[in-house]
Amino acid sequence: MILLKLAWRNVIRNTRRTVLSGLAIGITLACLIFIDGIYIGMIGSMIRTATDSLLGQGQIHADGFRDTIEVEKTIINVNNIIKSLGSEELLSGYTERTVSVAMLSSAAGVNSVMLYGIAPTTEKRMSMVDEAIQEGDYLSSETAGQILIGSKTAEILEVGTGDRLVLTVAQADTGQLSQDMFRVTGIFHMGMREVDSGMAFININQSRKLLSLGNATHEIALKFNSIDDAGDRSLTFWDKYSQSGNEALGWRDIVPQLDGVIELSDMSTVITSSLVFCIVAVIIIHTLFMSLYERMFEFGVLRAIGTRPASMALVIFFEAASLSLISIIFGLGLGLLVMKIFSVYGINYMGIEFASVTITEFIYPVMTLRQFTFFPALIFIFALVAAIYPAVFAARLTPAKAMQRSM
Amino acid sequence: MPDEILKIQNVSKIYSTDGIEVHALRSLSLSIEEGEFTAIAGPSGSGKTTLLNIISGLDTPTSGQALLAGKPISTMKGSELSDFRRDHIGFIFQAYNLIPVLTVKENIEYIMLLQGIQEKERYSRVASILKKVGLDGMENRQPKQLSGGQQQRVAVARAMVSNPSIILADEPTANLDSNTGASLLDIMRDLNKSVGMTFVFSTHDTMIMERASRLVLLRDGEIVTDERRQ
Repeated sequence: MILLKLAWRNVIRNTRRTVLSGLAIGITLACLIFIDGIYIGMIGSMIRTATDSLLGQGQIHADGFRDTIEVEKTIINVNNIIKSLGSEELLSGYTERTVSVAMLSSAAGVNSVMLYGIAPTTEKRMSMVDEAIQEGDYLSSETAGQILIGSKTAEILEVGTGDRLVLTVAQADTGQLSQDMFRVTGIFHMGMREVDSGMAFININQSRKLLSLGNATHEIALKFNSIDDAGDRSLTFWDKYSQSGNEALGWRDIVPQLDGVIELSDMSTVITSSLVFCIVAVIIIHTLFMSLYERMFEFGVLRAIGTRPASMALVIFFEAASLSLISIIFGLGLGLLVMKIFSVYGINYMGIEFASVTITEFIYPVMTLRQFTFFPALIFIFALVAAIYPAVFAARLTPAKAMQRSM
Repeated sequence: MPDEILKIQNVSKIYSTDGIEVHALRSLSLSIEEGEFTAIAGPSGSGKTTLLNIISGLDTPTSGQALLAGKPISTMKGSELSDFRRDHIGFIFQAYNLIPVLTVKENIEYIMLLQGIQEKERYSRVASILKKVGLDGMENRQPKQLSGGQQQRVAVARAMVSNPSIILADEPTANLDSNTGASLLDIMRDLNKSVGMTFVFSTHDTMIMERASRLVLLRDGEIVTDERRQ
């Protein structure tokens, strides 16, 4: 088609301008790809940190337990639930916990903690408590009287591994205080202040005895085969286990601030994309008008010899399409290169706390199909939209005015 | 008796700029017959360019009308006007006639592409017209690879190839040396005689005036003399 040929050749005849415009648009596309990839990587890291460190990807409690942490509020029909969870295909694991407020005291001081009674073997597969141990050892399933405390707690109480602590809790049935002595078997450091100073772990059997719970459980932490399922509120799994006075929640509801971060990142992507598209529009309009003004007489000749106004507009649209295609190819290449480089080296945000979650690993950008299909498609469409103004201008050109130099 | 191809009836053109009126044409009437080789001459500001613009539909008269091939070109608009120019008028401008990114062949066949003429017919006409203007073998060259005279010959070929009713040429030899200009004019005169193509020139060039079969002299927007020659 002659108009397409005309447009393509017009774009490539001024190589310098085309390269510069292509570079500008291409770089903005590469930035958009990279920013989106980093956001996805960061969100993924924060979710992993929040869920893998201790929370789990989902939890089951008695209704109202999370608000009050009442010792009496144990999971209803826990045995049936455990049996059912054992055959859930969505899950890769689960573990039972007791959760209660407790007081730890040593010769040097006292510290209130959230006391978790854990099953050491299943807990190991669910959380990173064992990996976070800096000093000493993890809990043993066989040995009683062991306690894991956080590094900050150890500082406050001025204790180390092997030292004894007195643990005081309130019992479930009577509310009376119950005490026992524990030996510090391990000190953990998770890099999160509220965990390192505010949590402690003992064997679940011992905690049940101390709290007079019988075989009851306060919390079942869940791990899914796919984290996407864990974040999917529409899954029937949650309704199934939110019956008879229990509630089953995914991480989005357990750590709502994390959900807020995701919303924020989605909004940031929208804002960044909007800015990118505005830049693209300005570059396209500028380039097309510069090109148009340079070829004003030529446009006048085309109109004079019989090219219809709509065809003139079509030439401009084809030029915008050609320019955006060149830019997109460059942008995809640059985006891919940047993503590959940072997927090896990552960005160090370790130690930074965001929405109550401390980033504990390097952030690596995540490549998705959307970045290399949807974003370029949007840029292409936006380029065509931006071309409307110069296209209408070209269509409305009167040959006489355009050729004033000659006639 | 040759047919009347162009009829200008009491055409006036007034330009208004910042409240100042300029009468470019004053109730001008003119008829041109088929096959005429007409030169419209006159000093700068006499209205030659304005007259050519109105004949070609590139501008509209303030009053009066222009009829080309029996159709009121001065009242046409938009696509109708574009299509009419495409089918009935060939243009040769003073310079920058050709589309720089198209080859000689593509420049010549451009109008035929707009007209929807089939490939075989297009190729045949292009080959024939290139031979007539003495440029056979140059179909794949770019305009920048041609001399000024050669470019003007391609412009003549493009203007002729779609068999228009009339060819309008605005100072076609202004940018050429006298030998090249004379050569170009001889080609156009030959085409006029052999094919009977109607040519109308806007010009200062005495070479064109000498070769013209009809000389129309304008001054201050009015026809001063209108001389037909053998």
